[in-house]
Amino acid sequence: MHATRQRPFPRAAALLAAAFAAALALALTPAAAHAATTPIDPSTAKESILVRTLDNSSPPAKPLPNIPVEISGDGYDVTTATDAKGQIEVGVPEPGDYTVTIDTSKVPSGLALPPALKASRTVTVDTGNKQVLANYIFVSASAAQQSSRPSSGATSGPSSSSTSESPSSSSSGSKFSRQIWPSIVTGLVFGLLLALASIGVSLIYGTTGLNNFAHGELVTFGGLMAYTFTRLVPLPGPVAILIALVLGGVMGYVQDLAIWRPLRRKRVALIPLMIVSIGLSLALRYLFQIIYGPGSLVMPQDSSAALSIGPVHLTGANLWAAIICIVALLLVAFLLTRTNIGKATRAVSDNRALAAASGIDVERVIRIVWTAGGALAGLGGALLAYYQTVQWNSGSLILLAIFAAVTLGGLGTTYGALVGSLVIGLFINVSAIWLPANLKFVAALIVMIVILLVRPQGILGKRDRIG
Amino acid sequence: MLDWTFLPLTLNQIISPQTIAYALAALGLTVHFGYSGLLNFGQAGFMSVGAYFFAITATRFGFPLWASVLAALVGSTAFAFLLGIPTLRLRADYLSIVTIAAAEIIRYTVQTPNLTALTGGSDGINGSEAGFEAINPIPDRVYKIGVQPYTNDDLWVIIVGWVLVGAAALFVWQLMRSPWGRIVKGIREDEDAVRALGKNVYSFKMQALIIGGVLGTLGAIINILPTSLQPDNYGTQTTFFLWTIMLLGGATTVLGPIIGAIIFWVVLSLSDGFIAVLSTANIVPLSQVQQGPVRFIIVGVALMLLVVFRPQGIFGKKKEAYFSA
Repeated sequence: MHATRQRPFPRAAALLAAAFAAALALALTPAAAHAATTPIDPSTAKESILVRTLDNSSPPAKPLPNIPVEISGDGYDVTTATDAKGQIEVGVPEPGDYTVTIDTSKVPSGLALPPALKASRTVTVDTGNKQVLANYIFVSASAAQQSSRPSSGATSGPSSSSTSESPSSSSSGSKFSRQIWPSIVTGLVFGLLLALASIGVSLIYGTTGLNNFAHGELVTFGGLMAYTFTRLVPLPGPVAILIALVLGGVMGYVQDLAIWRPLRRKRVALIPLMIVSIGLSLALRYLFQIIYGPGSLVMPQDSSAALSIGPVHLTGANLWAAIICIVALLLVAFLLTRTNIGKATRAVSDNRALAAASGIDVERVIRIVWTAGGALAGLGGALLAYYQTVQWNSGSLILLAIFAAVTLGGLGTTYGALVGSLVIGLFINVSAIWLPANLKFVAALIVMIVILLVRPQGILGKRDRIG
Repeated sequence: MLDWTFLPLTLNQIISPQTIAYALAALGLTVHFGYSGLLNFGQAGFMSVGAYFFAITATRFGFPLWASVLAALVGSTAFAFLLGIPTLRLRADYLSIVTIAAAEIIRYTVQTPNLTALTGGSDGINGSEAGFEAINPIPDRVYKIGVQPYTNDDLWVIIVGWVLVGAAALFVWQLMRSPWGRIVKGIREDEDAVRALGKNVYSFKMQALIIGGVLGTLGAIINILPTSLQPDNYGTQTTFFLWTIMLLGGATTVLGPIIGAIIFWVVLSLSDGFIAVLSTANIVPLSQVQQGPVRFIIVGVALMLLVVFRPQGIFGKKKEAYFSA
């Protein structure tokens, strides 16, 4: 460990570059061309447009059913009509600009669109955006003529940046780069979030030998705490995230105190310990379900883009998540390499008996590792709740991705966990361009198995660890 | 007034097809973990692969019963090779992560929209039992065991299932008394020692993985015959249930997983019943939605306590319960 201590960063960077190169190589192979002109089932499509036709001549708005709708773009052309609720969701084959046109001749006479709303308009669909809104809110014909300015209810809908973007941005890059860059960026953000959890798993594995199957619940716990403190006790987001971090640390500490330390004292072997962590994960997960219910919980946040570079739109929450992750990870790296307790942690990780013999308080190191692991997982969980949503099993849903990341990087290596997380995060998001949504984790798991075949110790692991 | 009618019904869990299925799969897990020391956390994957091979060949390709069973066995053997080749040379915890991942890969993949024609997507597959019920010799009327009525087809599954459990138990018992059994137990205790004796450890582990996986597959077939094949019934929680059953009965015994499965399902259905009764009477403040998770909490806590305080289970010998780490 000491001999290689100086090197991980350049090596990690090189590997990361390799991962990007691989992703780009994948990018250059043409995706199967979609020439579908049959409607795509919106429940299976990864992107869809939601067209709504409403009669707002006398509020509240009433649905306008059976209005013909045509959606076309990139060789895809579908004609359908709004349903009894005055809306229709149409799946689209891939992200891009689509022209949505409604047939106003079928609208009851006396109704018209306000001047600001055109019957034919361009809707931009980004990767993974579902139900991108195209609202057609009709008012009485007289009102439409009178108002030269759009009424507040008649803009093109509440949904984010994606609806009202000028088509000029499409000229800046090919259709493919419009897909790949957002996926790479969200993949990196997801990878950084995974890294927060993975580093805890890796540190705990390194110092105690335990493969902690209950780590996902620490992540869930962080997310649920963030939810509790932003929604149930309305506090500002940053405060709630901080609370999630602190409570995550407390949770890790208490877990070690109540369960893991007594078991270490009892000299319970590693495999039974692993089974204990499975039992704990099962019990905690369903306890969360009893308390928070089975549905997914949405964090209060602004989904409009805070940063737009070409085809990439990052929401403020994602941008902050990435920044917080990077700061936290740099802090961990600093603590591990520059402080006494960090050095002690690495020593214990390397050779526990030798570390104990040279005067390091191994129990104290393990306690700190559990606390730090819990805090990082809590932070990761809180940020993940903003990144997607949070529910009783969100941690256990990404547990395998965490394990894949840790295994990929090399069990027990901290930088390995980071590199592995970024690779897995990228892989999950980039593969979603080609694969159906439910297979996104499959790609990551297959990568892990393939890596185990060719390089069982992982990217940064040491050969002697594989036994 | 409290409604206790669930009590006599829980007794029928003793013989239910679900109990049979879990007994067989847990017996397979015993071959993996208890006897050979393989940390298989993907037994649900073995069940799922077998069940899909059986149901797809039976319903989509019209295979006769024997051919579907054969296809299921071939499928789970292939799955064992697929898992074993990359991982059996590595340390035990790698096998655990890869097997749990592989089981999840199967569960996600069969639900892919593109495969729906074959796998039925999230709805799974109905009607694979036709071939099995066609050879049912039991006269068609309603039979009553305790308070629960059974059709002739229900009984047929139960009878065949328990005959299978008996045969499998006998097979595993004889196998573990044979030289083969002594070698795999040796691998569990000290892999290097067995290697030093000139045995091909890798090959023995692979054989153990296949045998245990095949038992899991047989269990899955019994599980889907009276109901249908549902992909989400073979998630990680199924594997964890099987581990609890195995550790409850005793991981290094033949009767352990069978008795363990009976106790497990009786206890779970008792606890479901009690909680439902107590919360209708407002003694326990749980809503209908909140009652479902309670059984998982019970399993989780039981798993933790068992492993720490009675690792040998009900029937095992303390000496054999040593977990090599």
